[in-house]
Amino acid sequence: MKMITSIAWKNVWRNKARSLIVISAVTIGVFAGVFSMAAINSSVVQRIDAAVNEELSHIQVNNKDFRRSADIQNIIADYQGVVSALESTPGVTKTTGRIIVRGIASTATKSTGVEITGIDVAGEKEIFTLHEKLIPETGNFFESDTKFNTAFIGEKLAKELNIIRYIITPEAIAVLKNDGVPADVISKIETLQGERFTSDKKFVKAYGKVLEKGDTEKYGWKIKEAAWSYREGSKIILTFLDIDDNQTGAAFRVSGIFRTNNDMFESTSLFVPADELRQLTGMKEGTFHRVIARLEKNDITNEVTRAVRQKLPDYEVLNWKEISPDLAMMADFMNQIYSVFMVIILAALAFGIVNTMLMAVLERTRELGMLMAIGMNRKKIFVMIMLESIFLSIIGGFAGMGISETVIAITGKTGINLVKYSEGMEAIGYSAYLFPTIDFQFFITTTILIVITGILSAIYPARKALKLNPVEAIRSE
Amino acid sequence: MAVVEIKNVFKSYHDTEVEVKAINGVTLSFEKGDFAVIVGPSGSGKTTLLNLIGGLDQPTTGEIVIAGHRLSELKPSELIDFRMDHIGFVFQSYNLIPVLTASENISFIMNLQKWPKGKMTARTDELLSSVGLSDRHKSRPSQLSGGQQQRVAVARALATHPEFILADEPTANLDSKSAEALLEIMEKLNHEEGMTFIFSTHDARVMKRAHRVITLEDGKVVSDEKPE
Repeated sequence: MKMITSIAWKNVWRNKARSLIVISAVTIGVFAGVFSMAAINSSVVQRIDAAVNEELSHIQVNNKDFRRSADIQNIIADYQGVVSALESTPGVTKTTGRIIVRGIASTATKSTGVEITGIDVAGEKEIFTLHEKLIPETGNFFESDTKFNTAFIGEKLAKELNIIRYIITPEAIAVLKNDGVPADVISKIETLQGERFTSDKKFVKAYGKVLEKGDTEKYGWKIKEAAWSYREGSKIILTFLDIDDNQTGAAFRVSGIFRTNNDMFESTSLFVPADELRQLTGMKEGTFHRVIARLEKNDITNEVTRAVRQKLPDYEVLNWKEISPDLAMMADFMNQIYSVFMVIILAALAFGIVNTMLMAVLERTRELGMLMAIGMNRKKIFVMIMLESIFLSIIGGFAGMGISETVIAITGKTGINLVKYSEGMEAIGYSAYLFPTIDFQFFITTTILIVITGILSAIYPARKALKLNPVEAIRSE
Repeated sequence: MAVVEIKNVFKSYHDTEVEVKAINGVTLSFEKGDFAVIVGPSGSGKTTLLNLIGGLDQPTTGEIVIAGHRLSELKPSELIDFRMDHIGFVFQSYNLIPVLTASENISFIMNLQKWPKGKMTARTDELLSSVGLSDRHKSRPSQLSGGQQQRVAVARALATHPEFILADEPTANLDSKSAEALLEIMEKLNHEEGMTFIFSTHDARVMKRAHRVITLEDGKVVSDEKPE
């Protein structure tokens, strides 16, 4: 066997150029497949992480009628009981309560429908990471000691309410220079200096007029970032129904503005301290509409949901997959994409191997005939051809996996910048920066599949070799 | 004692609708130590007869017995092992394994027969010396001349002490100097080791050295002579 393995290995390298082409093709195929998979996977994983960490957490418990009617009176009847039930369930790490009221947010010029969420500030920080999404220099996450009501709002909502505007200031010009924007682009942008643009659309239209199309595409997002300006301490009016269904409202100062990758969430969500909201709506102290639970890890979501449901039959218990089925569907869809990618990668690998090995068998007809004549049995010839194919696929496969792992490790840290396309992606909740990631299990499965494909695709050429007649094979040219 | 016995062998091919009788009733036997050549014009059946003796092809009728074994009674897989154990082959186009060195080519069949490493190395060195290629043991076939390659092929054929060696036009691709050198080596091995050689050839130099010349015409033996 040692000799057969040695001959097979040497045979792989007797036509170096051809073997290297096949190995390169396999390497590139595996790399392209695995890396694309990692990039797509990352966007879904990032989206799910963001949804769980910023918007939904793992499990939510509501009054059974709350989601259907959104009536302010449908509170959690026994808040402490629900919290105890949740916290005594294995896998649950933290809980917090929320009050949820639908209303209208307005400024002097604009108004829009919002979901006002009353939160326990300290509890919220233990479960969600939204406070970390605060845009620098726009305030804080309810840390100011102020006598005013305060609200933490999304960037998109702030734009809709005209709290954010775009102004080309000398500071913005300096930022653009530092960012490496060419002088001719800056000089054109300087013509807009001093003007105030109250919406994204107006600003894009304005700089689109003064810049070339290519420059607009290349530097547009940098210009927007530099010109972004926020009116500190902006006031908004929130209007909603109180516990007696009477319309009420109050002025809130913007405590801080957050930025996520989900435009929809940013434009409809607004957070205020629960006490302030209770006071304005007339809700009793310690009452909540929803209890949020954080779990140790995402994998156990389904089983913990079942356990909580058994403990709290009088409440609606939902996990993030049920609240946002599109995300769960994306996770399932990922598995299907994975299968399709694997089929494409492996089919390409199989075609490459079959083609190369058939050529090798045809080229070596006389040699194979001679080997049969002098006493090398068919089993050994079969094994030799199989080994040659396996070597080709393993080298190409492992090189592809190695390169993929390295590139994924690098881009997983640096990220892939898709800011150019950010508007479209963020509108559906996906980040403009991809941090490719892939499971270790994916690597193992792929490696095993590559080896199996190498073996299977070698069978046909190896059988061809076995069918050779030694007498005819020796005579062949 | 007869090493090879050919008993009334016929071999026909059906080329389109015409039956071609390549071997037409040949009866021959080769004794241990024979240095015999089979000669004849192109198409006379030399190579077919060699293929039949080598178990690479089966007769249409008749029997071939090698060292007491009837080839017709062996299954295809047994025939491959039989060839490995009993017959040495030398081909016109050398047919060495291009990726192996001279030593590795010579020890190839010993390897298939799972010889112990020490014994295998000793036999390889002995054969390299016999064919005058001790200094080229690490050379690959592409680094050897045609004559040197054919000498390696002879050494490979001899390695496992087969009953006899079949050589199909072994000098056809060699210049006269290399051909003479090769024939000298084979003659010496025949003389010293008592190895039986059966050649097919057109080459007068081979015929001149042969102890027995069998002439085939139209698949029949027309003469079987032992030159003085």
